[in-house]
Amino acid sequence: MAESPHPSVRLSFSDGSKVGFPVEPGETVLDAALKAGAPVLYQCRSGACSTCVARLVEGRAEMQGGALLQSEVAEGQRLLCRTTVSDDCGFSLGYDSAAGSGKPRKAFAFVDAVVRIADNAVRLVLELAEGETLPFEPGQYVQVTVPGTEQKRSYSIASPPSALPRIELLIRLLPGGLMSAWLTDAARRDDVLEIEGAFGSFFLAEKDPRPHVMVAGGTGLAPMMAMIDTIREQPGRKPPILLSFGCASEGGLFYREEIGLREFWLPGLDARISIEHGQPGEGVRMGNPVDALDAVDPASVAYLCGPAGLIEAARSRLESFGVSPENIHSEQFVASE
Amino acid sequence: MTEKTPVRRASRINVASQRRKNDERTQSQYQPYKDAAWGFINHWYPALFSEELPDDGVEGIQICGVQILLRRTKSGVKAIKDQCLHRGVRLSAKPTCFNERTISCWYHGFTFDLDDGKLTTIVGNPEDPLIGTTGLTTYPVQEVAGMIFVFVREDDFPDEDVPPLAHDLPVRFPESSERFPHPLWPAAPSLLDEGAVCLGIHRTGEADWRIACENGFDNAHILVHKDAAYIHVQNWILPLGLRPMGDDCIAAIEDENGPKGLMQWLFTDKWEPIVENKELGITIPGLKGHFYRTSVVLPGVLMVENWPDEHVCQLEWYVPITDDTYEYWEVLVRVCRTDEEREAFRYRFERVYKPLCLEGFNDADLYAREAMQEFYADGTGWDDEQLVATDISSITWRKLASRYNRGIAKAGRGVEGATKTSSIRMRRLAQGTKPGYFVEKIKD
Repeated sequence: MAESPHPSVRLSFSDGSKVGFPVEPGETVLDAALKAGAPVLYQCRSGACSTCVARLVEGRAEMQGGALLQSEVAEGQRLLCRTTVSDDCGFSLGYDSAAGSGKPRKAFAFVDAVVRIADNAVRLVLELAEGETLPFEPGQYVQVTVPGTEQKRSYSIASPPSALPRIELLIRLLPGGLMSAWLTDAARRDDVLEIEGAFGSFFLAEKDPRPHVMVAGGTGLAPMMAMIDTIREQPGRKPPILLSFGCASEGGLFYREEIGLREFWLPGLDARISIEHGQPGEGVRMGNPVDALDAVDPASVAYLCGPAGLIEAARSRLESFGVSPENIHSEQFVASE
Repeated sequence: MTEKTPVRRASRINVASQRRKNDERTQSQYQPYKDAAWGFINHWYPALFSEELPDDGVEGIQICGVQILLRRTKSGVKAIKDQCLHRGVRLSAKPTCFNERTISCWYHGFTFDLDDGKLTTIVGNPEDPLIGTTGLTTYPVQEVAGMIFVFVREDDFPDEDVPPLAHDLPVRFPESSERFPHPLWPAAPSLLDEGAVCLGIHRTGEADWRIACENGFDNAHILVHKDAAYIHVQNWILPLGLRPMGDDCIAAIEDENGPKGLMQWLFTDKWEPIVENKELGITIPGLKGHFYRTSVVLPGVLMVENWPDEHVCQLEWYVPITDDTYEYWEVLVRVCRTDEEREAFRYRFERVYKPLCLEGFNDADLYAREAMQEFYADGTGWDDEQLVATDISSITWRKLASRYNRGIAKAGRGVEGATKTSSIRMRRLAQGTKPGYFVEKIKD
């Protein structure tokens, strides 16, 4: 058999479908995949957003830079947009081949409410304009163009797909932030926003009966709320869910009542709320959301969202309980001003 | 993205007054219940009385927007989805069975195994590659005390997760006698008791199943029953109403392995009978009544203990057919140990209980529910109702149902009643047949 001129890559999707294609020298796997028409999820193409993350299951593949943690790289995770290959290899993707065919779309949305929910967080309630649609999976995010600018900001959707045309976002206020300034000074009900989505490979695998562990730092709670509501609305037996949510201080906490409601609706939901500094109020633990994970079923599937440090700590904690790395899904957020 | 100027959707905003018993916070606690217009799925529901399904008989019904066919075979009653996977016709419209194990579609002969639902053959196309690869959902069936129950489930609800029927029936006595003492009457009989006999009726009501269900254990509604013939022939005098005396007037039933619902502490000091209204100058001269107690469990099963007589217990179901029709089941249970007892119960049922209680007395409930229907039909009622202290029973039920239901039925699609204005529905109406529970059989 003759050597093929270029190394070839095989992508396996979670539904079992597979796509193979050649990769030219110096070409990234993502570029080659797109050229071959493979339904991969991607967005920034520059190693920042982590949408194109895949797991190396065969062969060797080098990655140049990119927003992955060392521990994630060690486990075989690669951002396809920063990955080149010198010989044949295989990657597995955490989503099915249909997910990537749903291309992000742009839509107009009206502001329904801007509610300050904590010292440094806002809940933004939007309603898609008449005739607009924006399909998404619970856990995915949208990009919002800051009014009056060309700047875009990414926010996970906190409401479930069933709530469409309503879309709720949880937004952390940053001093000097463009979006923060608009939200605190200018935003009014009935303002029109341009949004685009949905993006991201971090979303709920539906009807998974295994115990779910969700770890959220700050506004990283948003995708968890969308997932919890989706699980709640799914008829049939629901998996047990352990939600561990934390903020820096009591004044930064939000959604206590919303979480309490979900605990009421879902007898299998156990929510733990932590703060790292100051005096914890009733029902709040001292420490970070990783400390609150005292016992975890090794058969669990985990979803993590928050700053890098939290994700890294949660990942190693979960692995110490025996949770398999491929069952740990994470979305790291990076604040932009 | 559209190039036109974006346009707002038409919407209404619900602002609940804080004075209401069901303020905004409380309403959000029972949001799942507000979403359950087509009922709670993955629960046991009564489908037919045993005598309605003779040997080899086939019947078609609809529960929670799911069309279900029942056939009595030599190995018991079988239930299968009553919608052929080929072109969607109801198999029960013209039952066609070539053997004991299967049902065939009368249209193109698609033939389904009654036990596992598999497509086993197609009458005129036995080599088709589709055969053996697909099928229809089947539903677990249990027949007790003269009633056939079906576990109405979603297509992918696994067999091993099907709970016992007892989890969807009222609490039993005497095993619960210590927890829910009943010093004024004997232990209420259960359908599952040995020797239990069930006599009753079922009929279609034109209302949302939820407002029907809430009427059953609403302690402020006894006003509608004050002139029922049964009350007068017994010389009973009812109070004007019952007022809750504290938050402990209702006990939640939420054991892990058992039914989920609530028990009301009626005829204890936790509920005060109202005998006077000064404003209207009404005084009840002296209460003379009959002690009973109401409880309700998922998926909407009412138990009235010690009613309408000692040793008898009335059970009711409000089985959702669509979002605006329900099958109203009224059943009296009595344990009969001998043929004479059984005969005496049936005799009294036919002459007293059925005409005076299940019809006379409860007809008032039926029209009260219909009277509420238009207010709730488009969602207005759920947002605008102004509930008060005596509605604690409904509110507690809504919350418990929100927490413990096994699934919210999706709005019916491709089934009868999903399209309210279909021409066939109109024709049937014109011919004098109202929308109902049973399939309309094809007359050859």
